[in-house]
Amino acid sequence: MNDRRRINGPASGTQPVVFENKSKALGRPQRSRKPNELRKIFLQTGLVPAAAGSAYLELETPSSTRSFIPTTSTIKLSCAIQGPKPLPRNSSFSPNLQLSASIKFAPFATRQRHGYLRDNVERDLGSHLENALNGVIIPDRYPKSALDVTVMVLEGEEDCLWNEEHGQERGISGVGLMNVLAESINVAVAALIDAKVDCLDLLSSGVAARAADSETDLLDPCPSEHEALACACVVGYLPARNEVVEVWSKMAAGKGREQVAEDLVDAAIKAARGSHKILTEVIKESLKHSIKTKHSANTKTTNDVEMKT
Amino acid sequence: MATTTIPGQVLGKLSTHLPGAGTHVNETDIYASLAGNVITTTATTKSGKPTVSVSNTTTTHNAGLPQVSSIVLGRVLRVQQRQLIASILTVDPPPSLITPYASNTDDEVQFQAILRREDVRAFEKDKVNMNEMFRVGDIVKASVISLGDERSYYISTAGNEFGVIIARSEVGNPMVPASWKEMKDTVTGKGETRKVAKPT
Repeated sequence: MNDRRRINGPASGTQPVVFENKSKALGRPQRSRKPNELRKIFLQTGLVPAAAGSAYLELETPSSTRSFIPTTSTIKLSCAIQGPKPLPRNSSFSPNLQLSASIKFAPFATRQRHGYLRDNVERDLGSHLENALNGVIIPDRYPKSALDVTVMVLEGEEDCLWNEEHGQERGISGVGLMNVLAESINVAVAALIDAKVDCLDLLSSGVAARAADSETDLLDPCPSEHEALACACVVGYLPARNEVVEVWSKMAAGKGREQVAEDLVDAAIKAARGSHKILTEVIKESLKHSIKTKHSANTKTTNDVEMKT
Repeated sequence: MATTTIPGQVLGKLSTHLPGAGTHVNETDIYASLAGNVITTTATTKSGKPTVSVSNTTTTHNAGLPQVSSIVLGRVLRVQQRQLIASILTVDPPPSLITPYASNTDDEVQFQAILRREDVRAFEKDKVNMNEMFRVGDIVKASVISLGDERSYYISTAGNEFGVIIARSEVGNPMVPASWKEMKDTVTGKGETRKVAKPT
C-alpha cells in the first residue's frame, strides 16, 4: 500500500465483464432467398495493374441487424494471372500452355487462421480449380509458355456459425469450401478473359445442396443458414457447349442416391447458369470501359512531328 | 461501332466464313475465344470466304506470343562468338511503341531468343564478327525464324530493315545510325560498328 511506484488496483476488487452471448440467443439466421435464388455477386476485372489479368469477386454480406458481430461469413476473392510467360528453366519442351492454378487462404480469411504454407485443403482446392480451367483454355495456342492463376481468399465461407465449437454434427461438412471453389472458378475465368487468354467458353460454376429431411434443391447454399446439409455438389459448366468440366459432390450413402446426385448436378448447373449471366455482363462492361479508355488515351498522345532538315 | 463479343458466342458457320485470330471451331460453327471486337475481312480471292476474327488489341500489354516470321524487338543480353542471347521485349510492334518498349527493363518475364552468327546478315556470312555487330544492351529489330527449343526462339537480322535500332556508345551516350555498319555518338561524334537497321 505504501509503494507509490506501483499502480495499485482498487481495494475492493472488480468483477470481470461478461458479455451476453447474443447470437446464440438470436439463433441461426434463416435463408430468406428463394431456393433457386443466388446471393448477389460483385465482380470486377482489372484490379491488379501488375498482372496480365485480374478480377475481384465478393458475395453479398448477409444482413445481421441485431448483432454487432456478423454471424455468418461471406466470400471475398481476388485472382491474378501471370503470363503467358516462358517456361521455368528446368522444365522440358512443351507444345502446349502449362497451366498452374493455386488457391491460398489469407491468414485472416476464416476464424481458424491459416498458415503461410499451403495446407492440404488449399492444395486440394487448387487442383480442382486447375482441373476446371484446363477444360476451358485452348492450350495449343500458347506453345512453350506457362500461365499462373493465383486466387487469394480474403474471406472464406465457413460451415458453422462463429460461436459453434465444431461444425455440424449431422450432415456433411465442407460446403463452405465448395462455395469457395465455385466462386474461385468464376473469378479465375473473369481474370483469364481480362488477360486475353483464348478460352472455349465462359466457364461458370455453381453449387447446389439439399438440407437434411428436405427434397428441395437449394442453389448457392449458405451453410451457416442450415442446421445440416445432406448433400452438396459443385459443377464447372460450359454453357455454349452444354458441357460439364468439373464435378465435386459430397453426400451420405443411402438408397436412391444416384437419382439425388443427378438432380443435384442439374441444380448446380442452374446455379452456374446464373453466375454465367453475371460473368457475361461484367466482361461486356469491362470491354466497353477498356475501349473507352483506349479512345481517350489515343486522343491524349501527341503524334511525332517530322523534323525539318 | 464494331460489335463486341465474348468467348462462347457463335460468330458464323464454317460453310460461310473462315476462322481467324481469336476464334475457334466446334463442329460446324465458329466461336469467339476472346472478348473483343468482331472483325470480318473480305476474301482475298474471288471464290474465297470472308474471315471472321476477334481483335484483342484493346490493350497494348499482351500482344501475343512470337510466331514464325513475326517481327520482334529484343534487348541483347549476352554476345558470344557464335551467337547472341536476347530477350524479346515486344512482338509485331507498331512504330509509335518502339521507344516505350525500349525502356522496359523486366527481363524475368520475357521470352529468350538466340541470334546465331549465320543469321546476322544474308551476305558474307562467314566473315561476321559478333562483337563488331552487337553490344550488350542494344535494342535489336529482328524476325523470328523458328520457335526453337524449350528455352529460346531463333531470330534473324538478315535484311536491311533488321538490326540495331537503339544503342548507346562506350561512354554511354545515345547513338544515331551513320551507315549500314556504323553508328555515331551524338555527343562525341565517335563511330562504333553495328549491324544497323535501316531507319524508317
